[in-house]
Amino acid sequence: MAKLVGVFAASHGPMIAREWDALSPPTRSLVEQGFAQVGHRLMMSRPDVLIIVSPDHWCNFFLNNFPAFCVGVGEEHDGPPEPFLKSRFNHPVLAGHAGLGRHIMDTALARDFDPSMSQRLTLDHGFCLPLWRMGIDPIPPIVPIVINEVDPPMPTMRRCLAWGSLLKTAIESYPENLRVAVLATGGLSHFIGEPKMGQIDEKFDRTCIELFEYGDPAKIASTLEHDVQHTGNGGHEVRNWVVAHAAAGNKGFELIGYAPLEEIYVGCAFAEWRVPA
Amino acid sequence: MSDYWLNKLFFDLQQPELGAQYKKDRNSVLARYPLSAELRRAVIADDLPVLAPHVNAYLLRFYFAIVGVKDDEFIRRLNELPAKPETKEKAPSHG
Repeated sequence: MAKLVGVFAASHGPMIAREWDALSPPTRSLVEQGFAQVGHRLMMSRPDVLIIVSPDHWCNFFLNNFPAFCVGVGEEHDGPPEPFLKSRFNHPVLAGHAGLGRHIMDTALARDFDPSMSQRLTLDHGFCLPLWRMGIDPIPPIVPIVINEVDPPMPTMRRCLAWGSLLKTAIESYPENLRVAVLATGGLSHFIGEPKMGQIDEKFDRTCIELFEYGDPAKIASTLEHDVQHTGNGGHEVRNWVVAHAAAGNKGFELIGYAPLEEIYVGCAFAEWRVPA
Repeated sequence: MSDYWLNKLFFDLQQPELGAQYKKDRNSVLARYPLSAELRRAVIADDLPVLAPHVNAYLLRFYFAIVGVKDDEFIRRLNELPAKPETKEKAPSHG
């Protein structure tokens, strides 16, 4: 049977790629170290497959068809379309893991959870920027999972916890002897195209960190359901962290690093959840 | 209120070819989108205060980058907008 070997999170602010060569040394160092640590830990977990949970930043979906959850079930996915990233991350095509993707779909449908599915997703900076900065080589096959965090209405935090628990069930019931890691990307606070763009909501970020360290899923759901309505639009990406939290069994995480980096418009954080051996 | 066709325009302009065409001749591109007269004027004028309430904020950010407005200037213009009103709590719609 497959085994969950690690659950991680990392911010994915596109300014990291757009402005990498011009970032101030302190910002660059913090970002570099955070991704390096997550990447090192991820590779130490020796994953055969990597599930990445991210929003779609208007690459695959538009308002005429916008799934709350979408599972990438294809053998291949397309690399980032953003010019600022594809020049740095030269992966026009990334391998998927169709078997596990399909098993996640089947497990979901059998448990009355009805996500959308895609045979081929375009993986924007939400998926590929962390892979670029972590320097993972070779990149294991990916099962991308998209959650709508860019345009309301969005899935509830409670539903994201349920989705994370379902992922755990799906991984542990997959009949192949695979080592599976989960990477949630995005967050914490940021304001994109909003009047406070460039500012960081450090209070929101600290609340998230405390909640994930402590671990209580009911408190996470109730607190974040409220708090995301009162921070920037980028804060909605904390849903991916909520999914990761539940996928890891709600045991809480170890914060690897956090810094409110106005230079890249993001409360930038990195973490690894405690996963039972 | 969000305007479907304004969102669609900004979404479509992410395609490099269409973005390039738009920069050369806005009217020829805008003719394909049934925008209201007010929004059409606001798009031609890059009138951020008029556009912002009618389009997703990410797409707004993409649009101003596509038409060449630097981040410093975009943020300056955003900072002049009134802060978004506090969102009322909504009951979870599904479980």
